[in-house]
Amino acid sequence: MNSFQYVSPHTVDSAVSLVTDHGRFLAGGIDMLGEMKEYIASPRVLVDVKKLPATRAVTPGKIWTIGANVTISEIEQHGELKRVFPGLQQAAAEVGSPQIRNVATVGGNLAQHSRCWYYRHRDIQCLKRGGNTCYARQGENRYHSLFTGNPCISPVVSNLAIALAALDAKVIVRRGKDEVALTVPDFYAKAWDNPEAHHSLGPTDLILRVQIPDDGRTCAYKQISEKASFDWALVSCAAAAKVDGNKLSKVRVVLGAVAPVPYQVPAAHDYLEGKELSDDVATHASEIILKDAVALDHNGYKVPIAQALIRRTLKQLVG
Amino acid sequence: MPNWPAKPSVVGGNTTRIDAPAMVTGAAKYSSDVQTSGWLYGMIYRSRWPAAHVTSVNVDKARQVPGIKAAVVEREGGRTVRFYGEELAAVAGVSEQACLDALRAISVEATPLPFVVKEEIAKDPDSPRVWPDAPNLADPSVKEQGDVDKAFAEAAAVVEGFFTTPVQIHHPLEPHGNTVSVTKDGVTCWASTQGIFSVREGLASYLDVSQEKVRVITDYMGGGFGAKFGPGAEGGLAARLSQAAGAPVKLMLTRFEQSLAVGNRPSSFQRIRLAANADGKLVAFDMDAYGTAGIGAGTASAGGGGGAGFPAPYIYTVPNIRVKQASVAVNAGEGRAFRAPGHPIASFGMESILDELAAKLKMDPVEIRLRNDSSQIRKREYEIGADRFGWKRKYKPPGSSPGPIKVGVGCGGATWGGGGRGSQAEAQINPDSSVEVRCGTQDLGTGTRTLVAVVAAEVFGLKPGQITVKIGDTRFPPSGASGGSTTAASVCPAIFDACTNALQKLQETAGIADARGANWAGACKKLGVNPLTAHGEWREGLSSRGVGGVQFAEVEVDTETGFVKARKILCVQDCGLVVNKLTCETQIQGGIIMGLGYALYEERVMDSTTGFVLNPNLETYKLPNFADVPDIEIILMEMPERGVIGVGEPCTIPTASAVANAVANALGVRVSSLPITPARVLAALGKAAKPGGSV
Repeated sequence: MNSFQYVSPHTVDSAVSLVTDHGRFLAGGIDMLGEMKEYIASPRVLVDVKKLPATRAVTPGKIWTIGANVTISEIEQHGELKRVFPGLQQAAAEVGSPQIRNVATVGGNLAQHSRCWYYRHRDIQCLKRGGNTCYARQGENRYHSLFTGNPCISPVVSNLAIALAALDAKVIVRRGKDEVALTVPDFYAKAWDNPEAHHSLGPTDLILRVQIPDDGRTCAYKQISEKASFDWALVSCAAAAKVDGNKLSKVRVVLGAVAPVPYQVPAAHDYLEGKELSDDVATHASEIILKDAVALDHNGYKVPIAQALIRRTLKQLVG
Repeated sequence: MPNWPAKPSVVGGNTTRIDAPAMVTGAAKYSSDVQTSGWLYGMIYRSRWPAAHVTSVNVDKARQVPGIKAAVVEREGGRTVRFYGEELAAVAGVSEQACLDALRAISVEATPLPFVVKEEIAKDPDSPRVWPDAPNLADPSVKEQGDVDKAFAEAAAVVEGFFTTPVQIHHPLEPHGNTVSVTKDGVTCWASTQGIFSVREGLASYLDVSQEKVRVITDYMGGGFGAKFGPGAEGGLAARLSQAAGAPVKLMLTRFEQSLAVGNRPSSFQRIRLAANADGKLVAFDMDAYGTAGIGAGTASAGGGGGAGFPAPYIYTVPNIRVKQASVAVNAGEGRAFRAPGHPIASFGMESILDELAAKLKMDPVEIRLRNDSSQIRKREYEIGADRFGWKRKYKPPGSSPGPIKVGVGCGGATWGGGGRGSQAEAQINPDSSVEVRCGTQDLGTGTRTLVAVVAAEVFGLKPGQITVKIGDTRFPPSGASGGSTTAASVCPAIFDACTNALQKLQETAGIADARGANWAGACKKLGVNPLTAHGEWREGLSSRGVGGVQFAEVEVDTETGFVKARKILCVQDCGLVVNKLTCETQIQGGIIMGLGYALYEERVMDSTTGFVLNPNLETYKLPNFADVPDIEIILMEMPERGVIGVGEPCTIPTASAVANAVANALGVRVSSLPITPARVLAALGKAAKPGGSV
């Protein structure tokens, strides 16, 4: 990697002022070190945000707060969180390996970059890296998106984002002098349109915490990978709803690894509102969600996986 | 003729590795741990083009990078590179970062050439040629016996299939590499190798020095599966860097480099027709196959060739045979021997089509094997295994498992040589009753050190922990390279011979009729001051060759997501006299896990647009994790009368076949390409969405 400066500020103000356009925030470093070693990213300054105040706690309440520096392991092992947001806990448990989860943070998981094997290759300047071509479109696209609003087809791979989207969580971001609350769709919206974007954050935007309303809904998360553990999701699915017997309300169903954003279809939510869950209802919901899927040469198998995961995740909600 | 003791006390038991404490505490220094005085890091600059005319490689600026002590060009003058990752230059410096910076300061002038990286495209005569003077698709080797067409025409049942296997990359836990120190007095190389003497020969020849000037040391190494016999391009470059810098150079490859340029298992594309009588007796076999060993036909080596050919119709006797096999060159790193070269490929095609035939004839897969396999050993293994596995109870006709998550079972067989050859050894008995046994072999991680201790302890009536084993140094008596499952069968007889000779000498010198066990210390004391040494060598009669081996697999397949979970693999394996049950079984477990990787996960992915390997890391080149490993049960069919036979290779051969057959049995349709990924399962079930259309 290229040489860089390292600073470790103790306030958010200094963190934001130190990072500039040429720096990057450093938390767990899991994603960024990989990019730096491959010369995909060569920041001039790394601003270590791990010492920033009020970023390391999980605070229960009517609205739960999870600090940006909370590790994935802490989410995975938080007893009360597991009870209230089982889907979020499950999404955390599927991240990487125990070693990675011990170091990786909530902020880093949300802001991580594309895992597309063209994007990550040291000698390929793809569209996402400012080149002219998305090599995956005509190439090896088995792990790529079924939905996108731009020529890049690399999907979002954050597990937490999928569960947090289903829970209507907000990501609190320091932007300039302000704190802004982004919905998960806001947080990724830019990646839908802009091939170079991984999310909607600017270079000096800093994730501070995540807020999750405890509104009496339950949630579930499932993913399918090629291996049983320590593998990226081929497709993931999170769902949240208020469950009354078999009846669902305030439903969210979100797919991961099929689009540059956590993918959800409002029409499916409307359809499921107030419905008694049955196999037919779940199947119809999955059809609505996947209606606009466009399969590429090698990723058509993601469609049946997504259908199965939608059905199974909804079923898990009603227990 | 010498003989193993009829009632051994140590041999055949469960001896824990004598070096286990050193390994788990880190006291054991692997080749990549070696830090000899004044050492430098070495790194290789590799071609960024899959094919190009290189006109110049300039390392002047690399030499100016702070901390860099040497930079060399791999080959002077113009040259053609033929794959992404081919070695062009190398640097040595005081830190990893200095070397990385230096690599980026190297400039290369080159004219890119057209290239082709996919076998199906490369075999087209209009594709760019990898070698200008020859078509990519070589003339096939053809083998024909009997009247094939007539036999097919008259057969009761004919099945046809097209089976493909991927290029499998060598990913031992410790990558390839060496520390090389070249001085005016000689050359020392700490190598991660399967053959210290083959590395010595390679380095001496590369540097044009006499072999007695070259010492190779491999105290501990982190695995080799057929691709670590010579010093490699990386060893040669490390030697030249050491010469230029006047310091030892450690050049260990990265995972990225492992994926490109250290050899691999060739791919295969096999079109097979198979015919049988109504009673399931095979009558005709017809195969047209090709595969790639990258830019070349593959480098032959001790474990067998690295070429694209493989035995067919593998372990079965078929009277009428037509086999056409060809290799096709592509612009990618070349094939090299890979644990049981050719056999897993051969097994997958043949065992798959055989199960198709059994299904067509409504025969039990074990039954059709018993009917067509002429090996008495394998027949017994099938019977033992089927009984233990509960085959009769578990086997159901293909696709009959109810529900979305289907269960299936399958089986397959293997054959391998695994015989011994001319190893030498030396035993030294010290007056204080300690024992040193020396042999110029190397431990690949299979437990060779422990086998040496077990055999010596057996002969001397001692415990394995009382034996000091010295291996992995070319100053010790020569032994062969560890390939072809030959190490145990080569080394153990030589140790036995040396120790038997030493014991005899001790008994003569001490005047004690039986110096073993309780008499040991007293006998040794009588030596006075000087230790006693005795030489020994491999002899006929203590080892033999030729094993079978069968495996049974039980899997569950989620027909909605395509996910395959291996539940159980049962292996029945013969390997003659079992020297140490514990390490024998762990080696078989390793072979099965590697076979599982071949079945379900591993595949080199080449990109046609760039010519690059797209999965040059363990994130996307998928190896099994512990969570993927099923319940593994091993039944050793002991045949001590045969002497020692190696087991490293046969145990990996039929795993993928058994798993693939189990998946086909579960689904009722066959996934005929490895690895069997969710994508392939769903495609075989006709569930994957077609490209372009919405759902």
